[in-house]
Amino acid sequence: MINLSIKIGKVTFKNPVTVASGTFDYIEQYYKASDVKKLGAIVPKTVTLSARKGNLSPRILETPSGMINAIGIENLGVDYFINEKMPKFSSLGVPIVASISAGSNKEFVALAKKLDKVKAIKAIELNLSCPNLRNKKLIAQDQKVTKEVVRAVKKVVQKPIIAKLSPNVTDISEIARAAEKGGADAISLINTLMATAIDIKTRKFILGNKSGGLSGPAIKPVALKMVYDVAQKVKIPIIAMGGIMTADDALEFIIAGASMVAVGTASFVDPNAPLDVLTGISAYMKKNKMKSIKQLIGSIEE
Amino acid sequence: MLKNQHYFKVVSNKKLTARLCHLVLSGKSFKAKIKPGQFIHLRVSSGLKPFFRRPFSVFRSKKSIEILYDVVGGGTKMLSEKTKGTMIDCIGPLGTSFCMPPKKVKKVVMVAGGVGIAPFLGLSDVFKEKKYELVLLYGGRNKDYMFNLKEFKTNGCRVYTSTDDGSVGVKGRVSKLFSKINGNPGEIFIYTCGPKPMMKSVQSFAQKEGICGQASLEEVMACGIGTCLGCSTKTKNGYKTVCKDGPVFKLDEVIF
Repeated sequence: MINLSIKIGKVTFKNPVTVASGTFDYIEQYYKASDVKKLGAIVPKTVTLSARKGNLSPRILETPSGMINAIGIENLGVDYFINEKMPKFSSLGVPIVASISAGSNKEFVALAKKLDKVKAIKAIELNLSCPNLRNKKLIAQDQKVTKEVVRAVKKVVQKPIIAKLSPNVTDISEIARAAEKGGADAISLINTLMATAIDIKTRKFILGNKSGGLSGPAIKPVALKMVYDVAQKVKIPIIAMGGIMTADDALEFIIAGASMVAVGTASFVDPNAPLDVLTGISAYMKKNKMKSIKQLIGSIEE
Repeated sequence: MLKNQHYFKVVSNKKLTARLCHLVLSGKSFKAKIKPGQFIHLRVSSGLKPFFRRPFSVFRSKKSIEILYDVVGGGTKMLSEKTKGTMIDCIGPLGTSFCMPPKKVKKVVMVAGGVGIAPFLGLSDVFKEKKYELVLLYGGRNKDYMFNLKEFKTNGCRVYTSTDDGSVGVKGRVSKLFSKINGNPGEIFIYTCGPKPMMKSVQSFAQKEGICGQASLEEVMACGIGTCLGCSTKTKNGYKTVCKDGPVFKLDEVIF
């Protein structure tokens, strides 16, 4: 029997495979519940305190081996999420990691307090790194601000706190250290890379928001290096995401030091990708006679 | 993880004009009934280029699934190269379908631009059995964009065509044919699909005349199932996803 379970804070996840925020919504008419139940965790789309309309269209475009998105965290607010969406997610019996975004520490605290009371939510991810909100600076671009927001939330909630970081920084491991010092139970990385595209006929930006975030296999090598760097600097678990399409991709991240992996953009193209990743990790461990995923995490030979 | 993802065999894939192609997929394992207006989301390459799936309105679905497509770029070019017997990864049917017209309606007008004709053959199949006066107004850039309308005529449609260069039908935009939308506005219902400027002109004509209808929209899509919110379009009721809230919307609801 292979032990795939991973602990973050006091919470145990049955396996290390989850979905990246913004790429999965449990729509009953489309998804096979029996398959979704196999995931280690589900991270729904980021929610905010009040509803957000999202950005002007076009919101997405295809790039070589990836996509740029500028959705702008369209959502109906945290109360709608708790009352209307959570019952459906809860019915799956999979641990839910709620992703939240806010404009101030006070808002982050208010959001986290509300979500801390919901039983099916097992951890809270602070999205400190959405590039599409027209802020001058991302929280995750500043060590001090990152540490303070994590600390403020950590003080008022019982559930584990995960800080989701941006690759749009000089040294992501410094920011990861700040989040750890602030009391984060885990780090997730990377969010999308700031990117854009121009229509040469009209000489206008293609996206309604002018710019967006690049995701998909195009960013995997960047994400992998960052995960490795962060793993050298922090002791808390890392949830890795950034272009994971296959089990081999996921294994690279785990070997580099990630405890969990999230499949994001891949699901749009190949909805089975998260399950194929899970199956592939088990097969690799079996082939290499490993009993626990812990033998694999950070097992890079140097 | 999806209930409606299948692998279908290519039965035939033919070039109809310099631009338009017709693909037939074997839908044997397909249980869900496809309603006119719905679409399928095809993965044209198992590799990374093109990266996204491509959404296509279903042209007709009886024993097989047929789509009509315009070779606009790399993705549709790859699709046009699929030979008989090839398997294609397909998610569908997806999205909303056309509604039946209100009770008072006697005349159904379909306004199509270019490959926007695609969802209307299936729709005219439904109307064939019913006692509507069927009219199709169909425009395109030139003859390469014009689909042969024999089957529409078989279904009892009165057909009027236009092209920008006059190579088929009246010279000019499809709006030149709007005079054919005549009669008591309450007894007419319009369905439209095509380029946005064309549908916008249909919308303003319908609004002026007091005619109701529906529009089928197209957008670049990632997931196709309403999770990514990438294909959202502006409507009077806020942003709506073209893939799940649409592709068929009330004509007066869309902000073009």
